[in-house]
Amino acid sequence: MLQPKLKSKVRCTDLDIGEVSKVVLDPLSHEISHIVVSMNGNGERQVAMGHVQAVTEDLVQLGAPSHDILALPPFKREDYVTTHEVEISHLEDNIHVTPGEVLVPLPDLEKNVKRRTFFMNFTHVIGFLIGLPIAFPILRFLMKPMYADFDNQWLNVGNVSQIKKEDVGVQFEYKKKVKEVYMPEYEVEKNVWVVRATPELLEKVYQGKDEEFRDAKGKVLWTNKKEIPYIAFSGKCPHLGCAYKWRNHKALGPVFLCPCHLSIYSAGGNVLDGPAPRGLDALPLRVSAGGEVEIIDMEFKAGTKAQVRIV
Amino acid sequence: MDSKHSSPATIPDHQPSTIEKLVAFLDERVGLKEMQAKMLNEPIPGGSRWAYVFGSILLFIFAMQALTGTLLMFYYVPTTDHAYDSTQYIIHDVDYGWFLLGYHFWGSSAMVVCVVAHMSQVFLWGAYKKPRELLWLVGLALFGIVITFGFTGYLLPWDQRAFWATTVGVEILDKTPVIGDFIARFLKGGPTPGQMTLSRFFVLHVMILPAALMALAGLHLFLFRVAAPAGPFSGTTEEIKAKTDYFFPRQIWKDMVGMAFVFAGICALALWEPVVLLDQAAPDPGEYHPEPEWYFLFYFQLLRLKIFAGEFGQFLGAVALPVAFMALLVALPFIDKDPERNIFKRPIALISWIAIMVFIVLFTIASVINREFLD
Repeated sequence: MLQPKLKSKVRCTDLDIGEVSKVVLDPLSHEISHIVVSMNGNGERQVAMGHVQAVTEDLVQLGAPSHDILALPPFKREDYVTTHEVEISHLEDNIHVTPGEVLVPLPDLEKNVKRRTFFMNFTHVIGFLIGLPIAFPILRFLMKPMYADFDNQWLNVGNVSQIKKEDVGVQFEYKKKVKEVYMPEYEVEKNVWVVRATPELLEKVYQGKDEEFRDAKGKVLWTNKKEIPYIAFSGKCPHLGCAYKWRNHKALGPVFLCPCHLSIYSAGGNVLDGPAPRGLDALPLRVSAGGEVEIIDMEFKAGTKAQVRIV
Repeated sequence: MDSKHSSPATIPDHQPSTIEKLVAFLDERVGLKEMQAKMLNEPIPGGSRWAYVFGSILLFIFAMQALTGTLLMFYYVPTTDHAYDSTQYIIHDVDYGWFLLGYHFWGSSAMVVCVVAHMSQVFLWGAYKKPRELLWLVGLALFGIVITFGFTGYLLPWDQRAFWATTVGVEILDKTPVIGDFIARFLKGGPTPGQMTLSRFFVLHVMILPAALMALAGLHLFLFRVAAPAGPFSGTTEEIKAKTDYFFPRQIWKDMVGMAFVFAGICALALWEPVVLLDQAAPDPGEYHPEPEWYFLFYFQLLRLKIFAGEFGQFLGAVALPVAFMALLVALPFIDKDPERNIFKRPIALISWIAIMVFIVLFTIASVINREFLD
């Protein structure tokens, strides 16, 4: 590409007509489309690069006679913006119109510096050494409340006299005292569903085996005996942790139904329909002689086939 | 600012006013005029269009979210024993609290709508293609931030809706293989949602996400200016050149009209659909049927499908599907190397976009219809 320089003389086929005062770039191709010629006191003319035949060190040779150039309309500066006033990326990348290189001297201390790479690497090492000892404390700082021991206390949730019919889900609401980190102890409302099961349902649920609950160390905490007719289910849906209800389903009759993703469970907690990966989670339950129901409040991870206790 | 060169010849007996002196003072030190000129004089290939307004609108919505959000923090207290009451106080007692909270609430919905519109425009115009791959990637990260903004902000009022959306949302993250349990506990700050969850979501919502969004939006704009606007997907160079104008004034005018419409729309929603809290959050939802924010409803409905049942199905629906979709979007400019940008000559792209939009609309409608069958 021809690179006419500013201040170069401009010569027509017959005579010199002036010098290059500006160049005009094409905003799309990023190439020089015109030169602006200062006409030795006769104003400025905009000359397309098509007229330029040759460019040498300080001369631009045009292929037209001077009167042709003089006959061009005067250059209208107001139709243009400088490259400083417009946002076109890489506009000047391949244009070399400056009359020469613009230089500044290197400071004395920067001359002949050896080991630039060493300094660069050392900078990175120090940055790493600052980051490393802080990363672990930050992680531990944020992880502090993540894991808590299980609370295996028995909680009274109500009396079996609330249950009027067999094989029907009855919601027992209770309050649980929670002590979270520095916060004052407060009570949260929770609920379990208790079913008084007929022997047939009990047989389906236990299939002849007692259900054991173990603590974190694997020691047996409690055993739900297969002949006890009461079953308590955690109020949390094993699909994605919503709260399910006891509802009358058009096709399936009375069932546990989760309104979130429509998992459906039988009175015994088995999955009848919907996306749940396992049945409802039975909790350790004991009933006193006076009919008071006590449970160990447990929560299990939702969405897994196996029961994974998290609370 | 017009595009004319500032003429060195000034009228000799004109005394500069104080403001002109101040501008000259600043200009000498910071180069204000050049900066302003650079910001406004950006050629829009093929000319300004209404289709290009969404980026500016998003910036406007974010600025308004930052303003209203900062104001809400004057009264809001992020603790489980005060979050609900302080939000109720904002709604019922603080002058115009209902309006600012409503604006912030509906502004978040407007943000999601405009992000999807912006992404759709870029997708349909083929503007993600070379050399704008990085611009697209940063845009996807911003999309993730906007979604996370919605998710974290939803918990803050600490009502039943908030509690259950978070409970289910975190359970979904929990399904990530290997690190799911850690992520879920890390976000909740424990095994179940509580004070630590509220604190974490609050810090994310008011500190980390705004900082990340500002940094990435800055990068997004920078990359946009480096790559230059893509322009229309059809037309010859000469046609495009003939219609080209600068960012100012026509595109800025269109952007401003767009912003005014969005502003009016959000105000109207805040006015006619004010935020009403449900009962305070509790692990017992009573008669409330948990549901996420409307723009997540299609996904909520999707997870009800039988094919996403069971442990593996759940992994498919909760993890594999969204991750695969995002991965596809990330890979898009690297897979689709065909320089053709005309959407009518890219049948797969057009059909995919229509299919996704139809799917979102249908599943959203289905989830709304499903509500009636729950009682």
